[in-house]
Amino acid sequence: MSRQENNTRRIAALDERAEALGLKYGMGIADARAMHPSIEIVEHDPDADRRLLEALADWCDRYTPLVAIEGKDGLFLDISGCAHLFGGEKRLLDEALSNFLHQGFDVRAGLASTPGAAWAAARFSLSPIAEGEEKEALLPLPLAALRLPAETRERVESVGLKKAGMLLSAPRAPLARRFGKELLLRIDQFLGAVEEPVSPRLPVSPLSVERRLMEPATLHSEIEHLVGLLASTLRTDLERRGEGARALRLSLFRVDGVVSRIDVGTSRPLRDPALIRRLFREKLAALEGAIDAGYGFDLIRLSASATAPFETAQADLSGENLAGENLDGEEEVAMLADRIRARLGAHAVLRPVCVESHIPERAVLQVPFAERLSRSPSATAPQFGENVSILPQRPIRLFGPPEQVAVTAEVPEGPPLRFRWRNVTHRVARSEGPERIAPEWWLANGQEQTRDYYRVEDDDGHRYWIYREGFYGEAAIHPRWFLQGLFA
Amino acid sequence: MAREAAARQMLFALRREVARIEGTLAERLALPPAVAGGGSLIRHSGIVHDVSPDFIPTGVPRLDERLNGGLPGAALTEIHGAGMRAIGAVTGFVLALASLALQRNASGGPLFWIGTEDGFHEGGIPYAPALLKDYGIAPERFILSRTRKIEDALWVAGETAKLKAVSVLVIEIRGNPARVDLTATRRLQRRAAHTGRPVFLVRQSAEAEPTAAPVRLLLASAPAGLRRTISGPLAGSIGPPAFQVRIDKNRNGLPGQFLLEWNPQTHSFHERPEGHAAENNGIVVSPSRHGPDHAPAAGALMAFGETEDGSPRGEPAGEQYTAHRGARRAG
Repeated sequence: MSRQENNTRRIAALDERAEALGLKYGMGIADARAMHPSIEIVEHDPDADRRLLEALADWCDRYTPLVAIEGKDGLFLDISGCAHLFGGEKRLLDEALSNFLHQGFDVRAGLASTPGAAWAAARFSLSPIAEGEEKEALLPLPLAALRLPAETRERVESVGLKKAGMLLSAPRAPLARRFGKELLLRIDQFLGAVEEPVSPRLPVSPLSVERRLMEPATLHSEIEHLVGLLASTLRTDLERRGEGARALRLSLFRVDGVVSRIDVGTSRPLRDPALIRRLFREKLAALEGAIDAGYGFDLIRLSASATAPFETAQADLSGENLAGENLDGEEEVAMLADRIRARLGAHAVLRPVCVESHIPERAVLQVPFAERLSRSPSATAPQFGENVSILPQRPIRLFGPPEQVAVTAEVPEGPPLRFRWRNVTHRVARSEGPERIAPEWWLANGQEQTRDYYRVEDDDGHRYWIYREGFYGEAAIHPRWFLQGLFA
Repeated sequence: MAREAAARQMLFALRREVARIEGTLAERLALPPAVAGGGSLIRHSGIVHDVSPDFIPTGVPRLDERLNGGLPGAALTEIHGAGMRAIGAVTGFVLALASLALQRNASGGPLFWIGTEDGFHEGGIPYAPALLKDYGIAPERFILSRTRKIEDALWVAGETAKLKAVSVLVIEIRGNPARVDLTATRRLQRRAAHTGRPVFLVRQSAEAEPTAAPVRLLLASAPAGLRRTISGPLAGSIGPPAFQVRIDKNRNGLPGQFLLEWNPQTHSFHERPEGHAAENNGIVVSPSRHGPDHAPAAGALMAFGETEDGSPRGEPAGEQYTAHRGARRAG
């Protein structure tokens, strides 16, 4: 594999056979070709490497949710609390290594109680370092085991401290003064004196349940069934916490290492397995072609990535509310909205929310149905109360962007006499107006102009809402006319 | 005697059930004045039938009579607009019907409006403030579903039609897509009948096709009435919206044509009487040749075929015409 470096092409990576031929990392491609004309050279692609590493990190999700990418070629797996699921740390390590080997990767792994020590153990092929033994482990290691920047390492080596163990016996204060704080930090991180957080790649879900399959599942119906089973397990956990799921994620681990993730959101906290299953059924139906089952999925995980307090409805004496199918009206609609959302996306179900604005197109926001509950509309919405009749008259249909029309008016500032909209000329029979709407100067962007709105009716009895933007003779730009809405 | 009445009632209930399954309306019934208050109707043969949940009375006696008591409350109703330009009128009329249905429905379920992306692009999005002011439909009760494809819209419609919690369902479709055929309308009709809730299928610029809907209405816009003030109608103003409604298909009723006005204050329909035509510019049927001629004040005309001075029906008398011919603009 070659890479471009300062106008020469050098070896960026090489396999075992090339090593056996005597080629070395960093050697010029021309030299290598001269030595062995038959070698095969491939362009180095760092992005592809990164993608591969991310895919591996995804795959490692099966061992622990806390997977972090380290540098260009490393992965950290925080397995605290997970190891017992695989029969101990050693067994987990062995299983992971053999799985990687079967997928064709040459992997080195280290196991230690601190990330620093694990890093060194992996790089220098040490046996697992138990807690409390870090110091002994560090003593014989070279300085490279401390994850130091090259520059610092050279400076430390230049004074003759070639082994990490030598640093341990040296007094700390002069070391810090001479080589910077990082050196001591790395040592402390290695020994566990300073906690080093491993920031996981993916946010960790508060709750998740999974199921390993002896026989990989390939059919959608199987997956759906499993979702139902997982959801009933999840339900007990949610009940214990008094919560319901607002967002759910289904992770499907394919046998050959590809991980598919399916997210669904809910408009109200949910814990009923049947409903969760229905949501995923829609989503799976929508993703029909996008999920390739390949040789099947051998691990399925359902996690609640966001939860919210669940308001428990008390069941009546016959226990009807517990049955799940007996939802009340609002819940039924919310469930339908969730299913539509799972299949068609969040913007398929909208709900108008009135906000405080005089500009017609800004007075109503179309918000996705699920967002309604999270934000309180009352804070910004105008209080219509009882006196609906004092509201200004508004069209029943409003165009997204107002459509420009060509208008003839009797007098410049007067109502239109005829106008041309969508290639048809309409003659105005009656008009009402103007209703003047000034721009919202307190939001000043200075670009907007005053609008004069007219309600007009054409000869055929269609009613339109037309406005003129700006005044004649004031600005250099000629006022323009727009059609913004239709009346009944 | 009592036993006989009970048996008849049972028979009638069965008949209704059959009618519901078949998707037809129950038999046409004449409303005798004696039982009008009780909300039940008696057929010629004397069978008692409770009519209330099955119909949405429009409040216009002549139209209700043609429709056997109102629009079917548990069925699909197709509403066609005369071309894309009538979209405002169609929307207004459907919203008016939805408003009537919501007034009758005490459960407080929402109005679900389903359409495709291009339809909303072409005709605009229903605007919440007008819904509240003119039709009394609160924004919280309005849910809009917009999909990219017609298939998705039909799927949403089908799923929504299954829910009893949705009070009114409106599906808006442009043109004549192949997917909206007899089967699709049949499905909607059955679900509407099953859940006992009206479903309105709004067809924009579509040809009339075979449909399972028992009623199909053809809508065209009509010049609005005048605003009413204390001193009579205000000339030149644009008042309550008016619709020209034609019953195009009516499974057990008669066809007919009506000119309805919607009252945004009381949220009710009324038919524009013949005599008021003059008040409304006289161009109900065909547009006026003289352009924006403004109607004379109310009370100047009699609602008879010939006025006293012999001017033709529906047109203002000569002196009145000149008196009001000057252009007057509101505002």
